[in-house]
Amino acid sequence: MASRGGPQRPNGASQGKICQFKLVLLGESAVGKSSLVLRFVKGQFHEYQESTIGAAFLTQTVCLDDTTVKFEIWDTAGQERYHSLAPMYYRGAQAAIVVYDITNPDTFGRAKTWVKELQRQASPNIVIALAGNKADLASKRMVEFDEAQAYAEENSLLFMETSAKTAMNVNDIFLAIAKKLPKSETSGTPQPRQGVRLNNEQGGQQSEGGCCK
Amino acid sequence: MASGVESNGHRKQPSPRPSSSSSSSSSGSDTKSNSGSEKDDGERKVDPYGFERSNDFDFETYEQFMSSYLSILARRAARWKDTYEDKRKISRSRKLKRFCRKGIPGDLRPDVWMLASGASQRLAEDPNRYKTLLSQRADPTVTDTILLDIHRTFPENVYFNALSDPQSLRKPLQNVLEAISISNPHVGYCQGMNFVAGLLLLVTKSEERAFWLMDTLIRNILPDYYAANMIAVKAEQELLGDIVKWKLPVLHSHLSSLGVEWGLVGAKWFICLYADVMPVETVLRIWDCMFLEGSKILLRVALTLVTMNKDRLLAATNFPQAMDIFRDIVHEPPSLQCHSFLQNIFSVTGSMPKSRIKTMREKCVRDALQS
Repeated sequence: MASRGGPQRPNGASQGKICQFKLVLLGESAVGKSSLVLRFVKGQFHEYQESTIGAAFLTQTVCLDDTTVKFEIWDTAGQERYHSLAPMYYRGAQAAIVVYDITNPDTFGRAKTWVKELQRQASPNIVIALAGNKADLASKRMVEFDEAQAYAEENSLLFMETSAKTAMNVNDIFLAIAKKLPKSETSGTPQPRQGVRLNNEQGGQQSEGGCCK
Repeated sequence: MASGVESNGHRKQPSPRPSSSSSSSSSGSDTKSNSGSEKDDGERKVDPYGFERSNDFDFETYEQFMSSYLSILARRAARWKDTYEDKRKISRSRKLKRFCRKGIPGDLRPDVWMLASGASQRLAEDPNRYKTLLSQRADPTVTDTILLDIHRTFPENVYFNALSDPQSLRKPLQNVLEAISISNPHVGYCQGMNFVAGLLLLVTKSEERAFWLMDTLIRNILPDYYAANMIAVKAEQELLGDIVKWKLPVLHSHLSSLGVEWGLVGAKWFICLYADVMPVETVLRIWDCMFLEGSKILLRVALTLVTMNKDRLLAATNFPQAMDIFRDIVHEPPSLQCHSFLQNIFSVTGSMPKSRIKTMREKCVRDALQS
């Protein structure tokens, strides 16, 4: 399977810092969360992407100048009843992409609710990006670009319209997030992934949280 | 596995569809045939249940496994035939349990699932139920949610990916899911049920049987996995963690140190009952036991996967590595070798007394309700 068009990968050339960030995708069912991740991680697109059950975990690495940024991505299920599982996935996340479908105004409303929840309950410094997906379906557009952009500005969100199908802005939105994430030694407190733990870390092999090594 | 396999004709059968059992009824039971020279190619690309094989499908491992499994299937088919010559004589017994654990022949599978689960008795008591449900309208918001998933259910299966094909199982899938939502209003529709109902349709080739089996799973066999609050699923994941802690304490503490929470592992395993998770043959063998013995088999499968891969998980040095292992182990060769995998389920997991599991689960449910 050809996986062209992936993001920049480290080719062993970079000797700089390596940063690791946890990123979660949230949004209504069938807006294209898994498709965005599949495009970003494998450079692929499936017209009929299977429904995600629970959540899927993937990783992808991008290079930014002298920094290698490794994303640990949680792609979550969209159905409303899975909402109660979401905190497990966004807890400790340094970044989130909240996705809606530009052809479906309800999904934009749902995206706003996700943003509110993240602002209230996720890590205080979480970088949130809003993605208006299915931008290739412009003729069926029901959510105006300006409206979404204004909302994003009010809430200090990154914002792009994306198309997992054409690849438009897919790598860009992840790169924009990577740029905005703090990459200095002092920022991004390493966070245990769960409340209780952790006695010894076996020679510091673990790379926890969003702090550069 | 379809009856074609027992007759050793599996590799020569052009039909991607499991061959039909003589008694199966209703929805689209005709086989879909490819023509002429496409046969061999089509056969390699599509498995007996209609699933398209990926370009990197490992034929060598698969053929190796099938060459030994076919003779096992033939032997089991003969034993079933001798023992249960008259299908009506199949009844819940210790012998049936032993037989189910060794695998139900494909052509008997729908009947035995119906009998073993109690679904056939429920059908006999209320023979018009499915028809009546179909004549009712489901809650429109539930229907909308179901419709979002119909074309996203097994998109790589030839019976679910064809839009215009009259054999397509998309409409039957919608019917079954809507009927379930009306029959079980506290459940409605939960994403994941589409894969369970979809696989039931592929195996039974009958909407009505798929409905009764699914309805019986929900009412009588499974914990409340599909309830709107998701408590039972969360609890089951934590229960798996507690069982691992009990059986494999060193591994449990290693995974904890990497940040692996059990809530992150196995949601799809339990919700989909391993459908769309493990290789289809293996899933059917698991279901052979589940319909008769109940849901504990699902925990045994999870514990088997963890136990068989204990050393690899212990060697993981960070969180992504551990998660990658959990992703891979469900479809690697040991999981494909369904016969030995099923044997392992009952040997490597050791004793899991019902009463102890029940107490442990109750604690997990209490915890999930409080969190």
